[in-house]
Amino acid sequence: MKTDLFIIGGGPAGLHAASVAATYGIETMIVDESFSLGGQLRQQTQQLRNLPKSFKTQTGTALAKQMIEKLRQLDVTKLVKHTMIGTYQDGRIGVTDGHRTIPISANKIIVATGAAEEACAFPGWTLPGVMTVGAAQILLNREYVRPGKNALILGSNNFALQVAKQLAEGGVNVKGIIENKERMEGNETETIDQLQKIGVPLYFNSTIQRAFGREKVEKVILNHGHKALEMDVDLICIGKGLSPILEPFEILDCHFTYEQALGGWLPVYSLSMQTSNPSVYVAGNAAGITDMGAILLTAEIAAVSIAESLECVNNADADKTRKLLWQELEQIESESFKRTFQARANVVKRFQEETDLSQVNGQ
Amino acid sequence: MDESTIICKCEEINLAEIESAIQSGAHTFDDIKRITRCGMGPCQAKICSSLVREIISQSLEVSLSEIGLPRMRMPLKPTRIAALAGKETSSSVVSVFAESAPKEGDES
Amino acid sequence: MKISPDKLVEDNQNKEIPFYFNGKLLKAKQGQTIAAALMANGICKFGVSRKLQQPRGLFCANGRCCSCFVSVNGLDHVLSCMTQVEAGANISSNEGDPNVRREVNEN
Repeated sequence: MKTDLFIIGGGPAGLHAASVAATYGIETMIVDESFSLGGQLRQQTQQLRNLPKSFKTQTGTALAKQMIEKLRQLDVTKLVKHTMIGTYQDGRIGVTDGHRTIPISANKIIVATGAAEEACAFPGWTLPGVMTVGAAQILLNREYVRPGKNALILGSNNFALQVAKQLAEGGVNVKGIIENKERMEGNETETIDQLQKIGVPLYFNSTIQRAFGREKVEKVILNHGHKALEMDVDLICIGKGLSPILEPFEILDCHFTYEQALGGWLPVYSLSMQTSNPSVYVAGNAAGITDMGAILLTAEIAAVSIAESLECVNNADADKTRKLLWQELEQIESESFKRTFQARANVVKRFQEETDLSQVNGQ
Repeated sequence: MDESTIICKCEEINLAEIESAIQSGAHTFDDIKRITRCGMGPCQAKICSSLVREIISQSLEVSLSEIGLPRMRMPLKPTRIAALAGKETSSSVVSVFAESAPKEGDES
Repeated sequence: MKISPDKLVEDNQNKEIPFYFNGKLLKAKQGQTIAAALMANGICKFGVSRKLQQPRGLFCANGRCCSCFVSVNGLDHVLSCMTQVEAGANISSNEGDPNVRREVNEN
């Protein structure tokens, strides 16, 4: 198969990049390994904060529906249940549906693989019933199944707090939120207030000493300050943050850099969201862990820049659009976590330094 | 965490095994992988990568930004041989297996 | 285990379909993943680990961790979190690595 633009990942970044690119008239193909498009939006039932101006405030599930509907009206090839597993020697991408592997030639590629959740090791963490907060949210909001009856949440970032609240509202007895530091990591006051109202206890300076169970988790012992607390739980949700999904970048020869505020290792990229491989661009959480608003904006920047390089829009117009998008990105990101945008600026600076260096070496 | 806590869920490599690899001179994820099989199971280090790099960082007192990622190899996700070989070639893969399998009545 | 519909973004009015887990007849909702259907039936342990035979179940729900492997209609190592359950499917727990070289080893 052949296409001008090949997008890896059908979550918010991939979907938005696809619709912007197709609107510029670019022949676009989008691939996702799941059985439906939407990525993590499919279970985000909460109202999304800080969306770009061109989006109205809405839940993640509504946004996914809206973006999928928009793609339906555009000429975009959608491949669900297809996974990118590598590249051929001639540069074509290998995608499998589980039965055969299909080579895809693309002029430009956007990697929009999103983020993976970090694990946390403690004795007993491999037991059934111990899962990521994201997994619990999928079960509850996408699959309509309660992941357990009595739950403990490990971690207090915004995502963990949000899922704790949703589990409690969904009828799960949330017995506590465990934070190893002395204060909460998350800053969404609305969610924190609601958790207080529901009466979910917070355990600061606390860690899990051990989880027990024969076939699945039944009991947990906490180190709470100097005391050990015992609790009967059948669900432990690990909410230790996110990091960019990077496998395709390595296979596509993109250089990496490290920024803790963006989730650790990530590809270096330019103001056009172009990586060190000139045909590969990055969008969304794969370009650094951030808010939904910034996920959508980075996708739009990548799509506009690809339209520019394929001569679907002139340089002056692309430049103007890109500047406006970066301004909005700075505004949105600085509102939630200032360090995120500063880290992003570092990544772009490092891309520039690498480019300068390779020009010097090339002479 | 104690010494017997599993770090690599697929290959079931525990903290003691990783620490002893570090004591033997391992200082990257791939060093530990070669010594212990950590990260060589079906998930290909997708889950233990950060856990192991954190342990290296603490044991050797180096910043996480100094500890590189494990080498990520193709296929990026578990893939069946038939899907890699293609429909026609998959039958030849099957026939290769059939050839190497002992035939009925073989004595070996 | 179902949540009252007012808590849901959309009602799961999908029709019920039968499937088997280790020979036992169970019900799932059409469109559910195998992992979700098992958990809705109170089953958390989907199989055992390959070396120490320890219980394993759903962990990341995103097709990355491979903790949720099951066998489906004779096919081993299927990601139950990424695969939708089909009516009549014969699902069994993942009992470690299949012994692909059994005949060779026995000789």
